[in-house]
Amino acid sequence: MAYVATRGGEYAIEQAERLFRADLGPITRERVDAVRTGLPYLIDRLMGEASLYEPDLAALALAQAGGDLYEAILLLRAYRTTQPRIAVADPIDQPDLLTVRRISAAFKDIPGGQILGPTLDYSHRLLQVDVLQGNDYVPEPVIPAAKPAPATQPSLTSWQKAQGLIPNHPGETVAPEEIPDLTREPLLFPAARAHKLQSLARADTGGTLALGYASMRGYSAVHPTVNELRLAYAPVRLRHPSGTIFSAGRVRVSQTEVISKVKELQLGFSATFGWNEVKVIAAATLDLASNQPNPHPAANEEFVLYHTEPIESSGFCIHFKLPHYVTFQSTPDALRRVKTDKDTAAVKPAVTEKLAPQQEEVAL
Amino acid sequence: MKLQELTKPWMAFNYGFLDESAKREIRRRILKAIAVPGYQVPYASREVPIARGWGTGGLQVTLTLLKPTSVVKVIDQGSDDSVNASSIRKFVTRVGGAVETEDTMAATIIQSRHRIPEEKLREDQVLVLQVPNPEPLRPVQPDMSVAREMHGDADYGQLWLVLYEQLVKSGRIMQGSSYPSMVNGRHVMTPSPIPRWDVPKLNQAGHLTILSAGREKRIFAVPPYTRVEPLIFDDVPYRVEDHQDKTCYRSNVTGFFMNELPQEDGSSQYELSDSHFGVKHIRKSEAESVEIGETWYKNGRMD
Repeated sequence: MAYVATRGGEYAIEQAERLFRADLGPITRERVDAVRTGLPYLIDRLMGEASLYEPDLAALALAQAGGDLYEAILLLRAYRTTQPRIAVADPIDQPDLLTVRRISAAFKDIPGGQILGPTLDYSHRLLQVDVLQGNDYVPEPVIPAAKPAPATQPSLTSWQKAQGLIPNHPGETVAPEEIPDLTREPLLFPAARAHKLQSLARADTGGTLALGYASMRGYSAVHPTVNELRLAYAPVRLRHPSGTIFSAGRVRVSQTEVISKVKELQLGFSATFGWNEVKVIAAATLDLASNQPNPHPAANEEFVLYHTEPIESSGFCIHFKLPHYVTFQSTPDALRRVKTDKDTAAVKPAVTEKLAPQQEEVAL
Repeated sequence: MKLQELTKPWMAFNYGFLDESAKREIRRRILKAIAVPGYQVPYASREVPIARGWGTGGLQVTLTLLKPTSVVKVIDQGSDDSVNASSIRKFVTRVGGAVETEDTMAATIIQSRHRIPEEKLREDQVLVLQVPNPEPLRPVQPDMSVAREMHGDADYGQLWLVLYEQLVKSGRIMQGSSYPSMVNGRHVMTPSPIPRWDVPKLNQAGHLTILSAGREKRIFAVPPYTRVEPLIFDDVPYRVEDHQDKTCYRSNVTGFFMNELPQEDGSSQYELSDSHFGVKHIRKSEAESVEIGETWYKNGRMD
C-alpha cells in the first residue's frame, strides 16, 4: 500500500512489507498443516466468511496473514473470485445432513434425540497452565456410546408444522441455475431471501454477534429460542452433464433455526460453512428480527447486511490510513478563511475601543 | 511475628473460587438487595469459568453463600441432571467442599435456572435464581439509564400498556415467562424466566430468594414473607399454564408443571418438569420410604 507522503517511497515500502514478513518467518507446509489441524474452528470461521470451502487454502491464508483474520479472508476471497462456477450442488434437506451435534432448547427432548456432539459448553474454563511447565495436556479418551446415534436426524420444524404450531409456508422451487449468487450480483434492497441468507452466511462473526446481541438484549421485538442447532457434514451432490448424480465430498456446516413468539411462532434461519455456533445463532436472530415490521435500526436488514460484510467494512476502516491530504487540504483552507473573516469582523471594533483610552492616557 | 504466620499456605484457587474481596462485595450487595426488595443493585460481576449467560450470576451468589457444611442443589429447567446443572453443581462442590444433593428438602442452597421447586421451601433455605435479563422495563425501554430513572419514579405505565395491548390484540395476556411482578408494593421486577406457574410461589414465601444476573451485573432479592404480585388488571385474573390436568407418563402424578415431549407419531407426552420430585414419586410407588415435602400447588390449584 503506497504511503505517498513518505519520501524515498518504493524502497521504504518494500522494506516495510519485508519487516512484516520477517516477523512471521518462513511459511512452510508444516506450519500450514499445524494451523489446519490445530485451529479447526478458526479455519471454519474463515471458510465461512470467505465463502470458500478449502481447509488447506484457509490454513495457508491464516499462516500467511499471521492470524490477521480480515487479511486472510481477503486473500481467500481474492483467490475465490478467480475460480469458475462450474456447477450447483443439489439442495440438502435437514434429514440429509450427517449430523454430529444437534440440540434444541425449545423442548427437553425431540424426535431423533438431543445429540451433544463435540462441545465445550459444559466445561469449566480453566487454563491448563501445566502445559507451559512442560507437562503436555493429553485429553481423556472418548468412550463410545453403547448405541451410536443415528447419522441423520429428522427436522424438528417439520414436526412443529405438522402440529400446527408453525405456519407452513410453501417452499419455492428454484431451478439450480436460477439461484441468485451474491458473489456475482449486487445486494439490492429489499434483499431477495437467497441473497439475505448468503450475505449472513459470509458475514463477519464479530459484527453479526454485536448486532445479534443487541437484538437479543432488547433492541428488537424478538426473543429467540434455539429451536434446532446443528453441526453437520453436508454431502455435496453434483449432477454430471450425463444426468448421473455423484458425490463431490462433504463440507462441515452449521445451521440454526431460532423461534420467537411475535404474533405467532416465527422462525429465523441461518447456515454457514464450518462449525461456528455463535455466528449462526446471532445471524438467525438477525434474520428473524429484520423480518419484523419496523425493526430497530440495529436489526434493519439493510443496516445489518451492509455493516457485517467483513471485507467491505474492514477494508473501508483501514483505508483511512491512506493519505488524504488533498481532500483534507480544503478543510484547513475553509477553517482559516472562516477564522480570518471572524477576526476581521470582531477584532476591529475591539481594537478601536482599547486604543481610545490608551490614547487618552498618553494625552494626559 | 513472621510474615509467613500472617498468610495462608498457597492454594491454586481460593475457597469458593472467588477471592474474598469479591465475596465481600457480593455479600454487601445482597444485603442491600434484601433491604430494598425488588430493587436491582449493580455489582462488579466477576468472570467465572463458565460462559456468560450460563448462570454466572447465580454461581457467584452460590459461591459467596457457600460454606463447607452447605448442601447444594442445582436445577436447570426443573432438572438436576441436565448438563449445565450438573456442571455447575460439580464446580461448586469441587471448589467449596460442599455436599451435593438432588433433594429439594435436603438442600440449604438451591441454585436454579427457570424453575422454583414444586415442594415448598423452608425459612432455612436460600433460592438463588439465575437471571438472564434483570430489567422488566427492557421491552419498553432498552436504554438502561432511562429505565433506572423510571424505576426511581415508579413509572410503570408502559408495562401496563404492553399487557393491555396483548389483551386487546390476542384476547389474553401473552407474556409467557418472566412475568413482571410488583415486589413489596414498590419495585417491579422480572422474576427471572420462571413460568407463570412459579411466580405465585414467591409471594409471602418463607424462604429468601436472591436473583442474580452475571452478564448484566445486577442483584435483586425477595426477602422472606414479602408481597410479590404479578401485574394484573382487577377484572382479568392471573392465569398460570394449563398444566393442572396433565399427567406425568413416568410417575403418573397430576397437577404440576410438565415438560412436553414431542413424539415420533406427532403426538406429545408429558413428564414432571421438577425431575427429582418425579423421582421421589416413582420411588414411593415402588414402596420405598420417601419423604415428599408439602407442595405449593394442591391438585393443580394454588389457594
